[in-house]
Amino acid sequence: MASATGNSICMKLVSCSLKPTQPSNSGISSLRSVSVPINTKGYPSLVSRRGSSRIQVFCAAKPETVNKVCAIVRKQLALPDDSAVTGESKFAALGADSLDTVEIVMGLEEEFGISVEEESAQSITTVQEAADMIEKLIEKNAA
Amino acid sequence: MILFRRVVIFTMNSVCFQRNFAAALSPLVPVKLPSRMEAHLWYVVPDEVKSSFLLSNYLDILSPCEKENVSRMRGEQLQKAALLARVLVRTTIARYQINGQVNPRSLKFKKNIHGKPELEWDDDQCQCASRLQFNISHTSSLILCGVTVDSPIGVDLEEKQRKLKNNILAFARRYFTPHEVKFLSSISDPVVQHQHFVKLWTLKESYVKALGRGFSGLPFRMFTIQFRTTENGDSCPSGETNNEGEIIVKSLEDVNSFSSNWQFALLELAGSHYAAICMEKDEAVEGEVPTPMKLTVRKTIPYVRDELISGPDAAVISGLT
Repeated sequence: MASATGNSICMKLVSCSLKPTQPSNSGISSLRSVSVPINTKGYPSLVSRRGSSRIQVFCAAKPETVNKVCAIVRKQLALPDDSAVTGESKFAALGADSLDTVEIVMGLEEEFGISVEEESAQSITTVQEAADMIEKLIEKNAA
Repeated sequence: MILFRRVVIFTMNSVCFQRNFAAALSPLVPVKLPSRMEAHLWYVVPDEVKSSFLLSNYLDILSPCEKENVSRMRGEQLQKAALLARVLVRTTIARYQINGQVNPRSLKFKKNIHGKPELEWDDDQCQCASRLQFNISHTSSLILCGVTVDSPIGVDLEEKQRKLKNNILAFARRYFTPHEVKFLSSISDPVVQHQHFVKLWTLKESYVKALGRGFSGLPFRMFTIQFRTTENGDSCPSGETNNEGEIIVKSLEDVNSFSSNWQFALLELAGSHYAAICMEKDEAVEGEVPTPMKLTVRKTIPYVRDELISGPDAAVISGLT
């Protein structure tokens, strides 16, 4: 089921029994009955959760969410304002250790009014992943 | 030859490498394996490694994948720390010379289901090789590798002065157990409170790393770390005195389990860091006192200098009887 709103296409949860793939947020190359442009800006990104045989499809986060996450990351890691922090930036590559990552998550919880399970911390390794999770949690709270 | 996409750090002349390397640098000093309840700790101070010749030789020890990971780090300092961390692991393991001379370059690693790095040995390598366990931790100013035989090990390092962006108690309320929050709240001196926060953090990290589960595999609110002084058995905060007593962990996942098979040590390392070590206790023979944990600390610059450390640079705070 797909509905188009503005520039982005949102697809709700699709349940299909595919073999579990390696965890990846960069898309899956072949899909049984759905063909989706992958990894282009504004289009849905496919995420396969570790150990799960269902594919959850949801929108890539809004730019303003990504920007807010970048700001929180910059502040936590004391990076200069002009340092390149984008959706693809990996926390570890920016110098975040486990305590930084936990503080970043805490900052995101406060900023967006969400609650992130510790178990999810492993799947937040980039700014984009954090932003995607935030929007998913906000949507869940609103529902 | 330029290796990194963004930052040119090291250049290499691979043809003359082997000859130059062998000629200019000392060989790795081999070391005997630690005994059952012993942990060997090796640390590097990145600021003391300045020679670009040395660093470019270090780079050649890494696997292509590790080189790629190093190159992805943002900036020279982070790249250097990432490089030294891999070099420390590879050269340290190689010193134990399982099956004769081991080339650090030839070591293979894999990750467990939670992402903990482990050694991977070929089938034909002897059984004793697979008994070697290691764990690594680093800050921007220190890199630590712990090695044991048979026992899983977790190590965690934190700068003593490491500041939290959040309020300590707010952070503890969010991530720690009520018992630990109560413990931290009872400390009125903010400096001492901060010190104990950092100690608790490193101890909790060392535990989840020893278990191989990591922070997401075992949330910190699922277990409590307690300092137990020997006199009255109650946990109470104290300052930077020698040996604050025993460190114990209580699992909140299974309230009946005491998690008593894990042993901790807490050190002050190089005057600047807290280091927490967690390893499995020796199985006590009926009626006998279990062997206490023993630590041997060495500071190293691989292929240059090794130094056995004792005294103020490796001061035990808690945990070793």
